[in-house]
Amino acid sequence: MAALPARLLKVALIVSILGGLYLLAVKKHAEREALRQAAVELTPACKAKLQDYALRPGEQYRSPYLLKTAGSSIELRGYSEEDVRAIQRGCNIFDDLQGHLAKSGPRERWHADRFVRGTQTTCVHCHQGVGDKQDAAGNRLVGSNSMGTSWVMADMYDRFTGLLLPHDWRQMQCYINSSNGFKPNSADDLLRDVTAYSRFLAAALDLKIGNRYPEPGMDEIPASATLRRGDDYVRGAHVYRQRCASCHGPQGLGTVVQGRVLYPAVAGPESFSLDSRMNFARVNTVMPGFICRNMPPGEEGSLDNQQCRDIAYYLSTLPRPAGDKQGPLVAAWQQLMMTVMPPLTRYAGSLGNNDTAHVSH
Amino acid sequence: MPTNAIASALPRILPVLRGNLLVGLTLAVVTLPQAIAFSTTLAGLPPHFGIYAAIWGVLFTAMLNPSRVFSGGPNTTMSAAIGVTLLPVAPPFGVDYIGYALTLILLAGLIQLLFLLIRPLGRMLDLINEPIINGLICGIGLFLIFKSLTGFAGLPINTEVEWPLWIAWQSFLAVLEIGNLYAIQIGLITLITCLVVRQIHALRNWAILIGVAAGTAYSEYLNATVGLQNTMIEQIASLSSVGFVFPSLPLFNQEAMSDIISILPGAVTLALLGLFQTVAAMRRMNRKIGGYTDSRRGIFADAVSNCLLPFLSSLPTCASFNRMWLVYSLGGNSRLTSASSALILLLMVLFLADWIAMIPMPAMAAVIMVVGANMISWEDIKPHLRDRREAVVFMASFLSVLFLDLFGAVVVGSVLAFAYSKWEQAHPSISLSGNVLKVRGNIYYGSLPVIESTYHGAIERVGSLVLDFSECYYIDQEGIRWLAAAKTEQKVAFADRRKSQNRRELERRKTGDTKRASGKRRGKPDRRQRSEF
Repeated sequence: MAALPARLLKVALIVSILGGLYLLAVKKHAEREALRQAAVELTPACKAKLQDYALRPGEQYRSPYLLKTAGSSIELRGYSEEDVRAIQRGCNIFDDLQGHLAKSGPRERWHADRFVRGTQTTCVHCHQGVGDKQDAAGNRLVGSNSMGTSWVMADMYDRFTGLLLPHDWRQMQCYINSSNGFKPNSADDLLRDVTAYSRFLAAALDLKIGNRYPEPGMDEIPASATLRRGDDYVRGAHVYRQRCASCHGPQGLGTVVQGRVLYPAVAGPESFSLDSRMNFARVNTVMPGFICRNMPPGEEGSLDNQQCRDIAYYLSTLPRPAGDKQGPLVAAWQQLMMTVMPPLTRYAGSLGNNDTAHVSH
Repeated sequence: MPTNAIASALPRILPVLRGNLLVGLTLAVVTLPQAIAFSTTLAGLPPHFGIYAAIWGVLFTAMLNPSRVFSGGPNTTMSAAIGVTLLPVAPPFGVDYIGYALTLILLAGLIQLLFLLIRPLGRMLDLINEPIINGLICGIGLFLIFKSLTGFAGLPINTEVEWPLWIAWQSFLAVLEIGNLYAIQIGLITLITCLVVRQIHALRNWAILIGVAAGTAYSEYLNATVGLQNTMIEQIASLSSVGFVFPSLPLFNQEAMSDIISILPGAVTLALLGLFQTVAAMRRMNRKIGGYTDSRRGIFADAVSNCLLPFLSSLPTCASFNRMWLVYSLGGNSRLTSASSALILLLMVLFLADWIAMIPMPAMAAVIMVVGANMISWEDIKPHLRDRREAVVFMASFLSVLFLDLFGAVVVGSVLAFAYSKWEQAHPSISLSGNVLKVRGNIYYGSLPVIESTYHGAIERVGSLVLDFSECYYIDQEGIRWLAAAKTEQKVAFADRRKSQNRRELERRKTGDTKRASGKRRGKPDRRQRSEF
């Protein structure tokens, strides 16, 4: 008989916990909804970009970009205020994933920092020009990872996985591999807003679903595009020290000044993982293409194909996080390497018989 | 004459038959939501896979397995293992995915046949001890709760492996922030109804069913007031495609070969998970009803069924702890129970498909949560925490499920348990009183260094020793050689203080029942009696 009240108490406890969680969920939902309705404060880069493309609520939308490049533009259905806010938030997420520039921090970025290990990563590190890199004449650059083309070319079969890859799944891969983190749920505003922004770019640039564009795939530089001397990470290390180390650091750990990422890490814990396509050891065309097309900023195209491959090869030999499917052993080993190697390398440099000494801070 | 015999036997048979049919009906009703939930939310396969497993899997095992309380059918862990193995290979619910799933099941069935054909392999299954199994069960229970969080909140099921606890935490936050509130309401109503009904003794076994009914009723109420287009609640799709049989072929072709090779470890895991559960459940439940069934019969039934099921669009089968417990507690005492439940389920699916199609997915997810919570029972855990070694094995197996995977958990748990038992054997208790060195335990290559260290220390101090091994029960060849060498040094005398009278009595008792106790040992000298040199 004494067991009965105890059981009742247990049930009451569980029911009240569940009820409490439900109330918490209602509160959290309300917070999210308020944030969805709130006006968006744009980052400087986003402000410029969206102003260029004349994004504002209205019945119809005409792209100034088209007017400038083609002389005429098509009238498209316009954006509601809700759409505009989503696009603006998407652009903000893109420019400043972890909310360093936001007043209330990561909350304004739908807590994107939850899905990223480390504190530095943001999308524009690889998708330059806020996902839409153009030269002075307004030409879209090949190999710039443009997000507009990425949207229209989503739902195609992915070259590397062979999967029919929707845009949100592709974004998840970015979170998992490139930012070495976790995937958000595909119903999360985080993915939806970035999709909205990418979709807006596609509309503004007049990109059409069904076409294949050269912009997003990084220009592939296979071994056949070189003089076939073979890739060499020693040569790569040498070029890296001359051309890259001044910004990315002697060990590729990036340059961060007062919490602001001036140049992103290309190795170490804040960098992309072993499973990323940027890892030369995994896909040996993407990283060389990215380097050749985008690096060093301002002097793009100054590195030849072989040099790009060598640098990419060298980067793949530096310690970086393990991919999430590689298991705990690889993860532990990479963690050890990331901890042990930087001081060791610094020590080796300080001995003076190594040319890292010339560039180390 | 035969009709007469039947007629005279009828009054005796009828009540038994009726009782077992009733239990069969309950079993069918309880199995149905589980079957659908396992196949859709865990294995990533269309619902008819679970249903056919609950029909044909149950029927085959009932026919092949002589145990009276055995109940096969779709299984949580096996379904989860299918999902975990195949998610990197193909997108769930797709044609390729289904083909790979069938191949995976067939491979698992063939591997299980190997366990039947190679006797020592089958015997190895008995070496998995209770702490490992309970650790696995608890870990899987927790995993099920996390795994169904997204379904509970009507969120898309994330497509990649969801093992790490950190990601489970992310899912939990997603439920709080972006979950569909209608879905959460349906799930909570199902969950709380289950919980409350379980407290009423008479309805205890109906709790899941009543919970699903309550969830469905609320979902129908929402459909009527708010509208399905606004609530966006996912319901179980129409089962109209489910017929009597649904033939299918596993995927075997040139292009698929590399993927098939990559899922081989998964097939081994699947086979082992099925057999572990079958052997362990048979052991436990047969002890409960005071019977015994050779575990090889269970392996045979499982292996053959799992080789047939992939040709019938079905999930693999193995023993189900929770349903066997149900059969036992309702008083089912014949294989008729399982067989009738399979047939009743077939009829239900054929004629009640429209009703089943209304069940909302959040209610299914809530059922999975209840099943998961049931798997974590303090009564099972408590005994393991009393002994430090068992506790370590239990925790290792439990944590490995959460941090590695099911197979990793089995390996870690088995290695630990094996290491402990070996460690135990390698440390016989050695006591020195006067010049008598008494060894209790084994004298074999592993324990010799321990014995030697004490032995040589004692020889130095005492000079001559009497080595008493009357309580040794195993001496291997190396031990015999060592003893012989010690004997030739003439510093030691051997004693076996088992009284000769006792030994004779022991011998007499042995010859009395040679048929049963030492049938295989006849003709071989017994080591226990050779211990005098």
